[in-house]
Amino acid sequence: MFGYPLVNVLGACLIITSMMVVLARTGRAAACLYSLQSLVLVGVLASLGAVTGSTELFTWSATAFATKVVLVPAILLYTLKKIGSDAQADLPPRMNPMKSVALVAVEVFVCFVVVSGIDLPTADAALPTLAVSLAHFFIGLTCIVIQRSIFKQIFGYCLMENGSHVTLALLAPQAPELVEIGVATDAIFAVIILAVLVCRMARYTHTLDADDLCELKG
Amino acid sequence: MDYSLLLLVLLGCPVAAALLIAVLPAKAVPRSAYEAIHVVSLLGVATCGLALVVAAFTGSDIFALGEWFHLDGLSALFLALIAVIGPCTGIYSLPYVAHDVAEGKLGPSQVKQYYAFFNLFIFSMILAVTSNNIIMMWVSVEATTLSTVFLVGVYRTKLALEAAWKYVIVCTAGVAFGLFGTLLVYANAADVMADAHQAVFWTSILPNAPLMDHSLMMIAFVFAAIGFGTKAGLFPMHTWLPDAHSEAPSPVSGLLSGVLLKCAILIILRFYILAAANVGDDFPQLIMMILGVLSVCYAAFEVYKQNDLKRKLAYSSCENVGLIAVCFGIGGPLGIIAGLVHCVAHGLTKAFMFCLSGNVMMKYHTRDLSKIKGIVSVAPVTGVLFILGCLALAGFPPFAMFVSEMFMILAGVAARCWWAVALVLVALVVVIMALVHMITGSALGRAPEGVKRGDVSPLALVPEVVLLALVVLLGVALPGPLAGSIEEASAIVLNYESENPVNGSLFDEAMAALAVQEEVEEVVE
Repeated sequence: MFGYPLVNVLGACLIITSMMVVLARTGRAAACLYSLQSLVLVGVLASLGAVTGSTELFTWSATAFATKVVLVPAILLYTLKKIGSDAQADLPPRMNPMKSVALVAVEVFVCFVVVSGIDLPTADAALPTLAVSLAHFFIGLTCIVIQRSIFKQIFGYCLMENGSHVTLALLAPQAPELVEIGVATDAIFAVIILAVLVCRMARYTHTLDADDLCELKG
Repeated sequence: MDYSLLLLVLLGCPVAAALLIAVLPAKAVPRSAYEAIHVVSLLGVATCGLALVVAAFTGSDIFALGEWFHLDGLSALFLALIAVIGPCTGIYSLPYVAHDVAEGKLGPSQVKQYYAFFNLFIFSMILAVTSNNIIMMWVSVEATTLSTVFLVGVYRTKLALEAAWKYVIVCTAGVAFGLFGTLLVYANAADVMADAHQAVFWTSILPNAPLMDHSLMMIAFVFAAIGFGTKAGLFPMHTWLPDAHSEAPSPVSGLLSGVLLKCAILIILRFYILAAANVGDDFPQLIMMILGVLSVCYAAFEVYKQNDLKRKLAYSSCENVGLIAVCFGIGGPLGIIAGLVHCVAHGLTKAFMFCLSGNVMMKYHTRDLSKIKGIVSVAPVTGVLFILGCLALAGFPPFAMFVSEMFMILAGVAARCWWAVALVLVALVVVIMALVHMITGSALGRAPEGVKRGDVSPLALVPEVVLLALVVLLGVALPGPLAGSIEEASAIVLNYESENPVNGSLFDEAMAALAVQEEVEEVVE
């Protein structure tokens, strides 16, 4: 089971781990599960590198390990430590777990249907993984919408970003490394900025509940 | 002159200023030091930016760092907006921040943060308009969000932080869709191009666009329109816009509305050009028309409904971005010209109005329009400028937006988009009512007691007078070089140079098309 089948199996693991991130009860558990998911992502990138013979993808997997498996979870755990236990970082989501799982299942199904209609030689053998990467966008979006804790909403963005990373690897394995560095750096900065905002929210408004933060009506 | 080097200097000025401000200690360094660095950076942006714009307008196609950066007639138009509005709002920031410091709203660390992120914001916008690498284009749009979050939340109040949070979450999530669209274009191009490494460069993709897969290109354009449309403030992805614009300091609101929304429009246009070259004009025009009409109709009524000065202006931005999308939805030379002129006209007018809203807030300490009365009697210069600004925003002559809105209506009539023209005209009437109400209710009338009489400092008025002069200048007579540049930019959007060589003026061709249509109608009758 090597080559593209391995890539597709790891793609399926990405969906399972992202579901676990969405359903995690505490912020700490979500950070650890996100690290696990990123480890699977590193596996996807490395196996894609082996299949396509793209040396860039091995470099990407190394940078993804440093940034997503280690750095991002560390930043989020540090944020959690900084805001303390009084903040509402562990608020439960608005939707119960069964409904969340059903919603994600529908999203994954729709993405598979959409991707099956695409005729793209670059990603022909890894269409299931392409569907997974597209589904990550919607799982991330779901995470942002259903979480009451704004700390947990950060994981929604992280999941979307992981989806982009897989898409980038599948569709643009030969893209210049500087491009990947640009995307990865951007993601790190985004997480840092979101974490700083969460800290400021906890410090100045004493709440991380998204329901308390709806005085502005869009 | 080595324009490639000048382009790099232009990018270097604001980023160097931001880094320098960031490394200086907040408490030990006086505010004037930050202001000096900020002003030097703005001077650099204005001089290098305008020099490059003039070079691009006179026909130079400028590349830098290989093909990573590119300045053509289209991007030069948007760079001109940055080079004018950036320094104007930047200079306006000096008295505005000083006032906020005096009021105790901003401390030393916030002042440092303000100037550092302001420069970073300008840098990220220059990066967005000059990037030729489509993935870097996305990175730079994302960077504009990240660099402005702390500007939106600089006051650290609950509302400001809420607005900042909404802004960053909605925009990063939205722009992620833009990345997906970008990657689809790249993968599609890499499949048809001999050298896959060239598939990241917009200028290399364009000649190969007709060979790319049509269905993928359509999906990519929809993703790009949703993703970058979020950043542009198009309905229904606009939710961040009124909150961020209203909670940010006024100069930042001016820069957000005047330039940032237009940068996002430029990126959409780049995808529009690729999609049109691939599947024809109809599909991208349809998407733009739907998003545009929805934005205009929704935002026009919100402009009328709002009682908060800056939220009113923010919804007006949403409405005007919708008008720009309608222009591109109508298409054809006149539609594209109308859209581009409206980008420039609205950018200048809205930056002017947001700066004025800052003056009003400095005097009244509120954004609530029911408490803002008699601006003319409290601060006469601000009051007169406020009335002129409202008229300019409403699209009255002799202001620039009158010209662009007239072009849009003519384009709609020429293209026989009667329903779109009718809906837009109804929405414009609603907006005119809202703005006239703002003149009668707030600029005129009796000033409330307790408001200190006298105008704001001259330094706060100078950028506004400059912006107003430009708005009037564009309204009275579109200067020759600018008209030429708009024609060149329109030719790029229409992909004219390769398929339809321009024999004369695009303006003339567009007007001639309108005249021919009238003649045909007469013959039919």
